[in-house]
Formats: sequence, structure tokens, C-alpha cells
Amino acid sequence: MTLEAPRAAAALDAGAIEGISDRFDEPDWLRALRARWWGRAEATPPPTGQEEEWRRTSLDALPRDVELTFDAPELETHLPPGAAEAGVILTDLRTAVREHSELVARHLGLSDGPGSHAHFWALANAAWTGGAFCYVPRGVTVDGTLVVRQTLARSDVAFHPVTLVVADESSSVTMLEEIVSPDGAAGWYGGIADIQAGQAADVKYARLQQLGDEAWNIGAQRVSVGQDATVTTLDAEIGSKITKVGLEVEMSGRGGTSRLLGLLAAGDDQHIDINAHQVLAADYTTSDLLYLSALYDRARAAFYGVTLVEHGTKQTSSYQECRNLLLSPDAGAEPIPVLEIKANDILRCGHGATAGAIDPTQLFYAQTRGLDPESAERMIVRGFFEQVVAQIHDETIRARVLEALAGRIGTTEEQAA
Amino acid sequence: MTALEQAATGGFVTAVRTSDVEPGTVRVVEVAGRSLCIGHTEDGEWGAIDNVCTHDGGTLGEGELDDTAVECPRHGGRFDLFSGRVLALPPVRPVNAYETIVEDDEIRVRLEPA
Amino acid sequence: MALPNPALTQIPDSYKYGWNDPEQPRTTFKKGISAEVVAEISRIKGEPEWMTKLRLKAYRHFEARPMPKWGADLDGIDFQDIYYYVTGTDKAVQSWDDVPEYIRRTYDKLGIPEAEKKYLAGVGGQYDSEVVYHNIREDLEKQGVIFLGTDEALKTHPELFREHFGTVIPANDNKLAALNTAVWSGGSFIYVPKGVHVELPLQAYFRINTENMGQFERTLIIADEGSSVHYVEGCTAPTYSTASLHSAVVEIIVKKGARVRYTTIQNWSPNVYNLVTKRAVAHEDAVMEWVDGNLGSKVTMKYPSIYLVGERAHGEVLSIAFAGDGQHQDAGGKIIHAAPNTTSLITSKSISRGTGRTSYRGLVKVYPGCQKSKSTVRCDALILDEEARSDTYPYMEIDEEDVTIGHEATVSKVGSEQLFYLMSRGLTEAEASAMIVNGFIEPIVKELPMEYAVEMNRLIQLQMEGAVG
Repeated sequence: MTLEAPRAAAALDAGAIEGISDRFDEPDWLRALRARWWGRAEATPPPTGQEEEWRRTSLDALPRDVELTFDAPELETHLPPGAAEAGVILTDLRTAVREHSELVARHLGLSDGPGSHAHFWALANAAWTGGAFCYVPRGVTVDGTLVVRQTLARSDVAFHPVTLVVADESSSVTMLEEIVSPDGAAGWYGGIADIQAGQAADVKYARLQQLGDEAWNIGAQRVSVGQDATVTTLDAEIGSKITKVGLEVEMSGRGGTSRLLGLLAAGDDQHIDINAHQVLAADYTTSDLLYLSALYDRARAAFYGVTLVEHGTKQTSSYQECRNLLLSPDAGAEPIPVLEIKANDILRCGHGATAGAIDPTQLFYAQTRGLDPESAERMIVRGFFEQVVAQIHDETIRARVLEALAGRIGTTEEQAA
Repeated sequence: MTALEQAATGGFVTAVRTSDVEPGTVRVVEVAGRSLCIGHTEDGEWGAIDNVCTHDGGTLGEGELDDTAVECPRHGGRFDLFSGRVLALPPVRPVNAYETIVEDDEIRVRLEPA
Repeated sequence: MALPNPALTQIPDSYKYGWNDPEQPRTTFKKGISAEVVAEISRIKGEPEWMTKLRLKAYRHFEARPMPKWGADLDGIDFQDIYYYVTGTDKAVQSWDDVPEYIRRTYDKLGIPEAEKKYLAGVGGQYDSEVVYHNIREDLEKQGVIFLGTDEALKTHPELFREHFGTVIPANDNKLAALNTAVWSGGSFIYVPKGVHVELPLQAYFRINTENMGQFERTLIIADEGSSVHYVEGCTAPTYSTASLHSAVVEIIVKKGARVRYTTIQNWSPNVYNLVTKRAVAHEDAVMEWVDGNLGSKVTMKYPSIYLVGERAHGEVLSIAFAGDGQHQDAGGKIIHAAPNTTSLITSKSISRGTGRTSYRGLVKVYPGCQKSKSTVRCDALILDEEARSDTYPYMEIDEEDVTIGHEATVSKVGSEQLFYLMSRGLTEAEASAMIVNGFIEPIVKELPMEYAVEMNRLIQLQMEGAVG
């Protein structure tokens, strides 16, 4: 099951990567950066399927013939009033390289992503042709929600955008990124996100994936949490045919907190496979994870997440939860939360995983309230998802996520109607 | 196979020649798009079962035939050559077995599960 | 009656068994394994041809399979540096008085009181690779219960033996099972007829005594419909400087409505590699319970498994693992749900101290069509020291919707408030820690059989007290 580099642009090679820089007239530092990452992509073989994280998802049918697109998708950005004046930057990545070269150079492509996705992380860093850049200056609190919406005009392309979010010391920002592509055609979306929270910063980042029904989503995300910083991420996987996402959380700042939330509502023949790697490498850090999935039809969800508490750390706290509702006989789940604990001075550490159908008592009770079985089921699934939804304090994000989920789980309003 | 062909042959399809499978062995045979494990016992009997082990996807036709038991090469699970029933763990679900007949020097298999 | 908890006095810094018996004259092969060695073992035992062929086939599989790349570090094993067969010069005996003196000395050192010995039913003692002691009580024989050494059972009950041997763990299941199938010697064979309930636990003791001796006992237990039996095994081994290998296979068949509990307390000395394949198949309305205590060895890899193949079958794994300096206990349990309305419970408690490492490795697999099945896994780990380590790897493969499957785990340290409170009552820190650890494992320790309590108490105490002397 070896994977060749995408034949996008007729087999990428060092020359093709340079071609990207030529086309976009990029500064030297970026040329060099891309070249270095291309070297890494070549040196880091794609997964063979023998690796623990890749056993449950085969890459055999990954559409590798599609072209690497140079047409950046339509990118809508929305900055709340006053943000620009305060120095907040939110643009597409190519524009950011042109207009804020030094700033971007200081933060782009400097760290590794999740080990499970090493090849794809390197590939995206070398071959991105679009993406977004968000910067929040020191001490600035952004009121309101930053929104980035990537709409791909065509699905049958390869596109590996980089989203870079940098929250400087003591800043505070909430951002929603949406990705949309049309149904019907198979393509390869390999977007990565690099979230950097400086000391005492507070970052909330939500990603709403609504790719087309034939799309392959091989994404990765890296979160680095500085001293006393807090990062909350929400991963809402609605679309795609195959999603294989890797999440890396690096808690190397003392007192940092991270919370990874996930909502999956999958049906038809969707296959969603998430890898997480939470590394608690500093004292007094907290890293929690809560991923919920509702699986219909023949959908399958796999989760393999490792919480690693490094030797010598004190008073760390981590709880990893993966809970799956199976709503049809052919749906399946494989939740595997793994703990590797090398320190003993732990404040709290645990994990939990469940998989199963709706409790029939619950269903019966809902129906005695006058609901038909489908409505009862949708209401109960919404109740199940509430564990995550209740943690989304931002109105905009909550509304958008619930809207995107409505197709599967209905809404409270329609219920009341 | 068309309905007409089915009526004419009783649903049997030629799978392999008798000389192609040594006594006491199994082998992989593709029949009408299906992958089968065909076995020839020391006593001269013939059997056909699905080629994929229900435990972990091992290729039964690449395994061994121990009397009338097919042994999967991956973890040693065993199935009865004639009924497909599980004889030894780790598989728990049986494999489909197919009726076989010998006609001259050919082994013919009926592709509806026995 | 409640089991008195072992009175732990302190958590030791290290553990050593310093004694061993002077070796008796014996027949021993040279070290190392080959097809010739395998054939010779079978020849010496006078086995039927089918067993000889099976051993040789298994040896072929052993050679061909690579070592597992997951789990603990097995680099220290040199398969050619082990004796694969040793015979004692003593025949099987029927009563305690006939037990050879040096074996009785071993049991004495373990402190089993005289009175206890009389009540112990059917103790099968194994000295190196042979079953040298055997005691079946009269009423067991009358009930038709068969309790023999595995070698003997092959001779005296060939059809029953052949019908079941290798049907739960086939020769090629994994590398170590293949090795065992090739060179197995000793172990217990138990058959309980329909409807018979064996009241007292059947027990066995093992011991490695020759330098670089591998232990490859093979146990087969068949509980016929509606029967019940409890089998208990415990091991001790003296300390040697070169590695020892213990690679046992246990197959258990629990037929319709029957009930089997298999209790193991393992306390191999810290140079032993303990790699065991244990698997049970439970039919309709059957109950299978593994109670697994891992205290010793350098490395243990052991995942007692239960295949629930009949409706309403129930499986439980209760596991305790204790890893001190330099030890790695890689243990857990596997439950395969292959029928509707099946239930399972895995409870694992592990403690790591010094530089020890405990890993829980488990699997809950639910095949499609197993409606209304339920499984709960609960793993708790205590890490006592800075250098100690604990891991949890809980695998789940759920392919049926109408089920309830849950797994919860915690990893913690001894609470400083708890410790402070106990110390303020006059206990030393070590005594207080011991008390807390004791409370932590109590839910599983209370499941151990009363008759085994003395032996168990002694083993735990020796473990906890550190150097004997």
C-alpha cells in the first residue's frame, strides 16, 4: 500500500516545488523553506498500513492522479469591527507572505506535526498553494469571531492549504474555519493547521469540514501551548468520503491548558479515522480530549489517540474520552484511547471510550412524549452531542456547527414545530 | 452465469483440473470472479470453500490441508473442507462451502453456497 | 468467608529469592532447539504419531514466524541458549509422604502449614518438565473427574485429548504458542463430566530449577455441560543470572451452562521471561473467569482471552500486575463477543514502582450480529515512584450497533493527603503506602480462593518485604 507522491502536476519533484514559488513570486526564505520540507517529504515515506495509526484506513484508493491546484479556493474572511485597527491580521496565506513577509517567516513551517502524518505534514508545507494566516498582537483581545471560509470550486483536485494561527502573548481570539467542496468528484484535500498560542494567550479554533461526498480528507493539526496559555479546538467532521486526521498537541509551557473537542456525524459509507497525540511535557499542564461520534448507515469511525505524560513532569492533568453512538446495524466504531505515563506526580489522568446503540429506555421515554421514532432518535443524538456543544461558548461557531449537523440530527426548532 | 447457462450446467462451473492440486494440499482458485480455496484430500476427496479466513483475512488456499481440515497460514485457524465449519479458533464464523463434483479430469464447483 | 488481606509491612526496594535446591542427577538434552530435539522429546515420551507430526509442524511454524514487534522488549531471549527438556528421576506420587524430600522443602519454605496440606485436593506438582506429584482425591475419581498430567492424559484418554487439543490455540497462533506446541511437556489435563461440580479448587505448583531451563507446560481443561471447576496455579522460581523462559499454553473449553475459573498467581524470579498464551472458549450460558496475578518475572506478556461463542455466555478477567525495579508487566485481557446477549467484564489493577513498568493491553471485539451484548473494562493504575511507568492500550473493534461497550481507565499516584493522614496515625511512610496499595488491589485479592490464601499471603509478603533473610 505504498503511496507515491501525488501525480498532481505530473509527479511532484523539487523542480515542481520551485515552480510554485516561481508562480507566486515568493521571497527566498519561502523558497528555501519549501525546498527543505520537500526534502523531508521525500525522506519520510508515506504510511504502509503496518503502522498502528494506519491499520484501519487504507490509502490504496487515494486519488493521486488529480492535479495540484494553483487556483486558491475562494476565501472569505470576516474580521469583527475594530480588529484590523488593533493590528489583527486575517488574510489568505499568499497575501500574508507578500504583505507581512517577516512576520510569517517567523512562524511558518517551523515545527513538526503529528508523527502519524509526518509525510503529509511535510508535503503540505512544501506544496501548499493556498491557506490562511491569522495573527493577533500582544495583549489584544478580539471581540467577536474571526471566520475563514474556503470554498473549493472543484473537488477533483489536490489541495494542501496551510492555516497558520499565531496568538501573541496574552492575546485572545476565537476563529472558525470552514472548508466546503462540491459533491460527486474524488479529490485529495490535505490541509494542515498550525496553531501557536503564546504565553497566557487564549485561542479557540474551530474547524468545520464539509467536503464533498467523494473527497479524501488527509488533514493534520498541530497545537503548541505556551506557558499559562489555553487552547480549545473543535473538530467537526461532516463531509468527505474518507477522513484521516492527525492531531498533535504539544504542552511544553508550564501551566498550559488544552481541550480538544470533536463532533463526527457520519453516514452512507463514510470512514472517519482520527489520530491524536497529546504530549504533556511541562508541569501543571492540562490536556483533555472529548470526541463524540454518531454513526449511521454503513459509516465507520476509528480513533487512536495517545496521551503521553513525560517523565519528570509534575501535577499534570489529562482525560481523554471517545464516545460513539451506533445508529444502524452496519455502523462500526473502534475507539482506542492510549495512555503512556512516564511520571508519577499526576494530578489526574484517565480515559474512557464507549460504543453502542441508544439506550432503548431513553428512546421509549422520548416516544412516550409523543415523538415518532426518527424524531426521538434525532433528539437523543442532539442530547448526546450536547456534551461538546455546551462547551462551545461562541454563538457564531455553535450556530454554524449545529446548522451543518442539522442534515443528520435535525434541530431543536424543527422539533418544537 | 446466465439463467440459461445455469439451467444447462446445474450451476456448476469448472474450477480446476484434478492434476493441478496434489493430494493433501489446498490451493487458491479464481472461479467466476470469486476467490476459492480448493482442497484435495489424501483419500481423494474434493472440497471448496471461500478463500478468505473470517478471523483476520488470511488466504486459506495458501495454507495447509490436515486430513479434511484447512489450516489458515496466518494464525492456524481451521475450517472443515466440506462444510466450512470452524474446527479451531481464532476464527469464530464459518466460511461458505461449495458443492463440488468431479467430471473427467475437471473439478466443478456450484457457486451457490452449500 | 472473607480472605484476610496480606499484612503488608512495607513496600520493598527490591525483591530477591536467594534459595534454590541442589540439583538432583537428571537426564538433560544439550541446549538449543531443532527438529531433532523436538522429535526426540516425542520419542522419549512414547507419543502417538499424530502428536509427533503436530510437534514437528509446530516447530516449522515457530522457525518461520518472526518475534512480535509490539509489547515488551524480548531481545534478551536466545532460543538456542535454553534446555528444552529435563526429566526428573522421580515418578508420580500419590500422597504427601511420597513427595520427594527436596520438593517438600520447597513447599515448606513457602510456609504451607501441615493442616492446610491435608485439605488441598489433587495437588499436581511439577518439577522441571515432569509432573512428579499427583494427588487425586477419592471422590473426584468417583465423580469421573479426570485430573492428570498432560503427558499421562495423552496416553490414557487419547480420543478425548485429540478431540480438543489445539482447537482453542492452534499450533500457528503465534510464535510462542508454536514453540510450546513443539516442545510442550507437563501441565495439567482436566475433564469434568456433565453436571459435576468440583467443590475444592484443583491446584498445581511449578518450579524452574535448572539454569536456563524453559518451562513449556501445556494445560487443557474441558468442562462438560453444566459442570464447574476452579483451577489454581502458582509459580515460584529461584534467582539466576541468565535469562529463563516460561512459555505456557492454556486451553479451556467451557461447554453449555458450565463454569470455569482459572486463577494464576505468578511470581517468577526477576530473570524470567514469562510469555503465555491463555485462551478459553465459552459456549451458551457458560461462564469463564480468569483471575490473573502477575508479581514476578523480568518480562511478562500475557493476555488471558475469552471467546464468547454461545448466547448468554459471560466472561471475566480480573488482573493484578505489580512491577518493581527492572520489571515489565505487559498484561491485560481479550474478550471476543461472537454471539448475542453475551457479557464481559475486565478489571485490571496495576502498580509500578522503582523503575518498573506496567502496561495494560486489552481487546474487546464484537462481531456483527451479537445484539444486546455488553462489555465493561475498568483499568486503574498506581504509579508509586518517579522512574516508574504505566501504559494503557485498550483496543476496541465494535461491529454491532445494538450493544453497550465501555472502557474507563485512571492512572494515579498515592495521594499525599491520604499518606499524610495515615502517617499521622503512627505508620511509617512505607507502611502507609503499603496499606494504600493493599486497598487498591483489594477488590481482586478478595476473589482469590481461601484455600490458596496462605500460599498467596506468603508470596505477596515475600514480594513486598524484599530480600529474604
